[in-house]
Amino acid sequence: MTEVPVKIEKNGSWITSKIDVTQNGITLREPYNQDILYRSIIDLQQHKTVLIITASGEAKSENQYKIASVEKVLVVLKKRIIMSCNAYRLMAHFMSPAIRGGVLVTDAKWEKGAIAVLKTGIWFISQDKQICVLLDEVTSLELTKRELQKKKLDVVKIDYLEDNDVVTSFILCPLSTLQVLYSFLRDATKDKDMKGAELDQLDAQSAQVAMLVYSGMDTHAIENMLNISQKELDEIYETLLRLKLVEVVMIRKEVQLTPKGVRYITEALRPPA
Amino acid sequence: MGRILIVDDTLFMRTLLKNILSSGGHDIVGEAEDGDVGVEKYKELKPDLVTMDVVMPKMNGIEALKAIKSLDTNAKVIMCTAVGQEQMVKLAIKSGARGYIVKPFQAPKVLEEIGNVLGA
Repeated sequence: MTEVPVKIEKNGSWITSKIDVTQNGITLREPYNQDILYRSIIDLQQHKTVLIITASGEAKSENQYKIASVEKVLVVLKKRIIMSCNAYRLMAHFMSPAIRGGVLVTDAKWEKGAIAVLKTGIWFISQDKQICVLLDEVTSLELTKRELQKKKLDVVKIDYLEDNDVVTSFILCPLSTLQVLYSFLRDATKDKDMKGAELDQLDAQSAQVAMLVYSGMDTHAIENMLNISQKELDEIYETLLRLKLVEVVMIRKEVQLTPKGVRYITEALRPPA
Repeated sequence: MGRILIVDDTLFMRTLLKNILSSGGHDIVGEAEDGDVGVEKYKELKPDLVTMDVVMPKMNGIEALKAIKSLDTNAKVIMCTAVGQEQMVKLAIKSGARGYIVKPFQAPKVLEEIGNVLGA
């Protein structure tokens, strides 16, 4: 058993406490004084220095616990929980991140570890890394091939959003396992797929606008590049908004001078007496 | 900031890159729509950096990269390719490319990569 110092949240307050980490689970001391078996844990998320553990309780209820601590302690907890919790798990090699924002990560390498698919996210765990990809942030899943040591091997490629960057990661394991993982992930993210009727509403120009937004271009630059008016672009934005492919981040104002404003400008431009 | 030559067979990508790189303060000294034109423009313009598409009709990006490197061993070329072709990276790096970007790309990351290569 290992005892680690933490802060545990309850009813909005953080209480200095300890957690006992055992073979079968964790024991939260004050304020809960409760054992949580690993096999009852169905989800794990991390927000900065806080772990959010979701465990199933009686009568299909779910209880959430927030635990804060230093990175060293969080690493121990994450590794133990991910390797023992109630999740689809497999041993695999992964490369994460392989590409960030379209730029190849030059020192990316394959790491040996485990992949676990929990309720809200996919965890990659190795000796040195614990990376979580939220299922809501997954933008693309593909079964594809990648060259490794002069051999073309099957991999699952996952694209996801992280801090507004699109990140690509790869997972490598035996093909039969890979196909099961791919099917599992497709099923977990299928509600994000675009339906046929939605795709019909997008023409080539809308797709170009979406791509330019992806690349980071602002409205003015898009209008200039595609040689379209503000009104035409607004209509395309409306289509993309309706399909939930974009969200509004800023509303700009266009203004004109009032008579008071015109008077101000006239005075300001008058040569000094 | 650098003098950059853009080589890509699609006008859309050339314009997009031009916008991104100009917004980052770089000077776009020329464009080419194929690898052979890119090599000729390199000789003429001697840019600080070239962005090079991989798949082009007459001369592909890898061949153009090799041709430019044979003219100037210090030439800085960043390869630009579509998703699914990133396996070309080994061939490109072996041929002397300094960096690699995958379409679709995001402007801040591209500018960061360009800055790293120019600064190196």
